[in-house]
Amino acid sequence: MINPTPDLLMGLDAAQTREFLALGKRLLLSSGAQLFRLGEPAETLYVVQRGRVRLTLPMQVRGSDEEVMVEERIPGQTVGWSALTPPYRFTLTASVPLESEVLSLSREALRAHFEANPAVGQIVALNLAAVVGERLQLFQAMWLREMQRTVELHGA
Amino acid sequence: MVLCMSVLGLALAAMAFGAATRPERAAQQPAAQPQLAKPHARFFVEPVAQPRIPIDALLAQIENHVRLEHAAAESFLEYPTSALLHSKTSSPFVN
Repeated sequence: MINPTPDLLMGLDAAQTREFLALGKRLLLSSGAQLFRLGEPAETLYVVQRGRVRLTLPMQVRGSDEEVMVEERIPGQTVGWSALTPPYRFTLTASVPLESEVLSLSREALRAHFEANPAVGQIVALNLAAVVGERLQLFQAMWLREMQRTVELHGA
Repeated sequence: MVLCMSVLGLALAAMAFGAATRPERAAQQPAAQPQLAKPHARFFVEPVAQPRIPIDALLAQIENHVRLEHAAAESFLEYPTSALLHSKTSSPFVN
């Protein structure tokens, strides 16, 4: 499944979208491949084109570190926005559970493009804020649900 | 004669003492029960004795729990209410 309008590009016209996508490089990933690891320098933003990307965090399960899925990204969605926000380090590990394709966009290429096209930069920045805000709200709700259960278990 | 009376008196006193103290011993037994504390001992012993599920199955359960929590949180964001924020899921980790 290919999504023609990535969430990061909502609001751009056809020419702006074409120019933006031309900045990227297509990466074909085989099943099980890792896109990036937790803690690595984040230089590249990815837009999922095909397949799926699993975002995981390490969790101690029976005394050993296990990668536990916290989120899954589908075509059209953005992965790795740590590349655009300091301190430019990935805060999750990304891998693909099946053969997938992503568009990789380097921070330097994006900066240069936004400097030359401020209107595009503004739209993309607002779209990025929506992506970040959505995740913040989602995990805020998940955190509160866990807190509620903790209170019910220990605070009653 | 005096000796016989003394022995008899001692025997009666011993019997009276035994009869007087028997109910007390019986009464002490229920009080001693909490000291056995067997429920506490079982609390620590039984979980170890239970068979563990394989690690892959446990990880699958964790992933399923995350998906259910994710979906519940998304439902809340679509229509924010206190009821949806605290809606129950079928995850075995919370049931």
